[in-house]
Amino acid sequence: MGSSTGRGPRLLAIATAAVLAVGVSACSSSKSSSASGGSGKSGGSFTYWSMWRQDEPQAKVIQAAITQFTADTGIKVDVQWTGRDVAKKIGPAMAAGKAPDMWDEGEDVVYGAAAQNGNAKDLSAVLDMTIPNDNEKVSDAIPSKYWDSLPKDPSGGQHWIVPYEASTAGIFYNTADPGVSAAMASQPATWDDFINVCQALKAKNEPCLASEGEDSWTNGLWFDYLLNAAGVNFNDLASDKTGAAWDNPAVLKAAQQVEQLVKGGYIIPTYTQTKYPAQQTNWAGGKAGFLMNGNWVTAEVAKQIPSTWKYGFMLPPGATQPDSMIFGFALTKNAKHVSQAEQFMAYFLQKKTLSGISTQADNITPRTDIPAPPELATVQKTLDAPKLRLTFDGVAGDWTTKVWNQNYLDFWHGQIDAATFISKMKSAQVSFWKSQS
Amino acid sequence: MSTATIQDSSRARRSRGGSAPRPPVGAAPLERSRRRMFWAFTAPAVLVYFVLFLVPVGYAAWTSLYKWDGIGPKKWKGLKNYQTLWQDPTFRHSLTNTLKILVVGGVLTFAFAFALMLILREMNRKLFARSVLFFPCLVNAMVFGIAAGILFSPTGPVDKILEALGWSHPPQWLATQHLSTMILGTLIWTATGYYSAILMAAVDQIPEYLYEAAELDGANAFQRFRHVTLPMCWDVISVCAVLWTVSSVKIFELILMYGGSSGSQPPAGSWNTAMYVYTEAFPTASTPQLGLATAAALVSLFMVIIFTVVLRRLLRRDPIEY
Amino acid sequence: MTPRRKARSLPMRIATGVVWVVVAADIVLVGWILLTSLRSGTDILNHPFGVPTHPKFSNYSKVFSDGGFGQAALNSVLVAVLSSVLAVAVAAPCAYALARRRNRVSGAMSMTFAMGLGVPGQVMVVPLFIGMAKVNLDDSQPGLILVYLGLAMPFTVYLLTGFFSGIPQVLEEAAVLDGAGAVRTFTRVILPVARGGLVTAFLLQFISAWNETLFAIVLTHSQDKVTLPVALSDFVQEAQLNGLDWGAMFAGVCVVLAPMIALFSWLGSRIIQGMTVGIGK
Repeated sequence: MGSSTGRGPRLLAIATAAVLAVGVSACSSSKSSSASGGSGKSGGSFTYWSMWRQDEPQAKVIQAAITQFTADTGIKVDVQWTGRDVAKKIGPAMAAGKAPDMWDEGEDVVYGAAAQNGNAKDLSAVLDMTIPNDNEKVSDAIPSKYWDSLPKDPSGGQHWIVPYEASTAGIFYNTADPGVSAAMASQPATWDDFINVCQALKAKNEPCLASEGEDSWTNGLWFDYLLNAAGVNFNDLASDKTGAAWDNPAVLKAAQQVEQLVKGGYIIPTYTQTKYPAQQTNWAGGKAGFLMNGNWVTAEVAKQIPSTWKYGFMLPPGATQPDSMIFGFALTKNAKHVSQAEQFMAYFLQKKTLSGISTQADNITPRTDIPAPPELATVQKTLDAPKLRLTFDGVAGDWTTKVWNQNYLDFWHGQIDAATFISKMKSAQVSFWKSQS
Repeated sequence: MSTATIQDSSRARRSRGGSAPRPPVGAAPLERSRRRMFWAFTAPAVLVYFVLFLVPVGYAAWTSLYKWDGIGPKKWKGLKNYQTLWQDPTFRHSLTNTLKILVVGGVLTFAFAFALMLILREMNRKLFARSVLFFPCLVNAMVFGIAAGILFSPTGPVDKILEALGWSHPPQWLATQHLSTMILGTLIWTATGYYSAILMAAVDQIPEYLYEAAELDGANAFQRFRHVTLPMCWDVISVCAVLWTVSSVKIFELILMYGGSSGSQPPAGSWNTAMYVYTEAFPTASTPQLGLATAAALVSLFMVIIFTVVLRRLLRRDPIEY
Repeated sequence: MTPRRKARSLPMRIATGVVWVVVAADIVLVGWILLTSLRSGTDILNHPFGVPTHPKFSNYSKVFSDGGFGQAALNSVLVAVLSSVLAVAVAAPCAYALARRRNRVSGAMSMTFAMGLGVPGQVMVVPLFIGMAKVNLDDSQPGLILVYLGLAMPFTVYLLTGFFSGIPQVLEEAAVLDGAGAVRTFTRVILPVARGGLVTAFLLQFISAWNETLFAIVLTHSQDKVTLPVALSDFVQEAQLNGLDWGAMFAGVCVVLAPMIALFSWLGSRIIQGMTVGIGK
């Protein structure tokens, strides 16, 4: 600004004009894009905020589909690669009337941020649509169990999301790891068997489990599965306003089983002292036997594992149903271009299009006729179970951040014992629900 | 830490007191033209400040009286949101953390900053040292949050150095129960250089003859500090105290990055009120609580106001003329 | 400044030593961050103290192309420069008027501006988000520039009032006697003299806009609109489903850090002076 300081008002005028110009051009450009979309050859356009960032493999698959979709139908897709923050942005955006027609996220986020308040449109119409080229109905291509496991929106519907990626979580390991195969002849049938496997590994100075100590989600999966094994529904447990559900002896037992892992010294010793993905990297480097995580972990460590690596996968012994997390498209309550967006949902589920989620993004699709990537073959078989169960039985949102995270981490780090954990959860939950009413 | 956006009102107070120099009586035309131009000159800034600053503050106060998810209609709650906050253990914890940063962090920062200032003044190449120590306050705190993930890991550089120095079992720096302490430590480290630079600038303006006179009177180093340095920069100290109050209450990115590295929110034990506002207004997988969020924000504003008033009372001294 | 004739005492020597160790640690830290940005993620996790034997510049190309840091850096420059220029342009005449005219109105006005210094940013985050969305300026650079402009007002007015107060009145009196109007006096006589103050105000505003995170995270989300702090935070968030690359992460950190290092090496004393003397006045 040096030379222009002597001409203050002119500088001010120029700067103001510049800002106005930028503002006007920004407004007009957004207008013109939607206008030109409207004058497209047949179908208009719709807006879409994606949970993926442009460089992620899923985004590339979706982008390719969008390009083809626009060529085939003339419907333009105004896409923004928003990233995971879409979860935080969508609510306020709907509030401000700035929300897109379509967005995508995990089913827990779509439910928590929109569907539970009736802010996600019912997509039953999509289930009846015919998938282009494949000539089968959406409801025939995607097993209904994916919807059956979902919580209901205020109008009782479960069809507020159209899934394109399915996943589960469980214990991953390398069957080619001599330590693991020596300790575990076959997959353990009971929890005690599993503890024995850990003990055998520990005896050989190999840590049984890798764990990102700071992450309450992956580590919480142990408790989630053990509750499931004990026949306790996590959601019922978390939504009990009196907290009495925590007095169930089965809950205490599940906590004590988790405590066995912590107190038994089976977790990699440095787990409380690192940040993600340090321990995952250790595991991929063969420094620990097992890792509990969502099945996307295979894609995450793909570049780190040795070529001899062979994936094994199992659920914690006793668990009756695999966890299910689906990622899919949803429509916001005030979506204006419903039919265009719904057409795209059905279009994206085409076998050849959706295959990209498996072949390029290395993940599992909800279509049973699309094979999972080889390393996830056993995982996909787990998802063939007749009934699925949402991770944490669908518990998400505020309860997780305010009641669960800190207490479970304290427990997982051995700061508090199982009984203290139970009583802390109980009292935190009671005050949480009090503050929510 | 955006240290550059905090100030105090001492100048404004002083100028309102009418002690400022009035223009000489002979300059009547100047006075007249100034009166005419006063509004033209101030209008743009006042307008911007009103629309983009004061109105939002007012709107926040208004929103804090409603229950609002941002989508549906606003529901009148009156002061109930504040009551809800008080009953929410997470908020109480966030408030405690904020106070801890404000008080403990403040006392330590000032102790260190004063010591550092005194040492720097006696050092060779003090300007270079000051610059290096000052620099961290210009860096986005996220940088430190990210770097700490490697620096303080069990196989990281810090532990390696400590090991070499013979400390084989260093603390578990990154364990979640140490999160608040690490955040506080980082904050003190970045702020000390800044505040000692402010103090140094103030002390540099103290005329040398005062020290010489004190020395002639036989005052030792501590007495010179107690009777010359401290009183002479008291004004600046009180400004710094207010400055710290505001800047410590709005810390955000440091906590966001230190705690959350795999996409989830940092554990609630490390939140301060700013983090609480953010998670209530922009939650993952739940309904935004805009009323509650703005109420929490206003609580932090009240906190700043109370602290500022109390601090200025406590630190008020008669200005020393020299 | 204050030459001491006495020999230094032992405690003082130890204290001086400690300070130099901290200074050295700070320099090493920055150097370490820069070096680490040239290494691969796995390598960093396994050997955190290593030196890049084969500098991995692809970390940078990764954050610039894939992570969107290139666009984000442009956005950061645009937003920080424009908001700072505007802030100084809007605040300077006001500060000048407040510095020169001392009466009840200007006193109240100064007081109101000064009170803004005590308002933590989180108070305005929800209202500004809603407001910007109402006027269609959310998720846009003009919106962010406006928000930063508003946030900058209290400090910039305060700082510049101090600078203008320090300019002797004789200058204007002479100009007025020569028949110059107030505007002419301001632009031709005062501004050139106050140039140092204006540049300082610009620099400080630029630094805080460059580092601002809360409003940027809340107000922008499309990949072509975000600023660097948002890009950095997004980069971490992405990790959950696709893995975190520490090498690229540190490259991203360096993109945020490097301009501050450059600016500080170039104009360090001016920045320090503005942030210290300007405050204490």
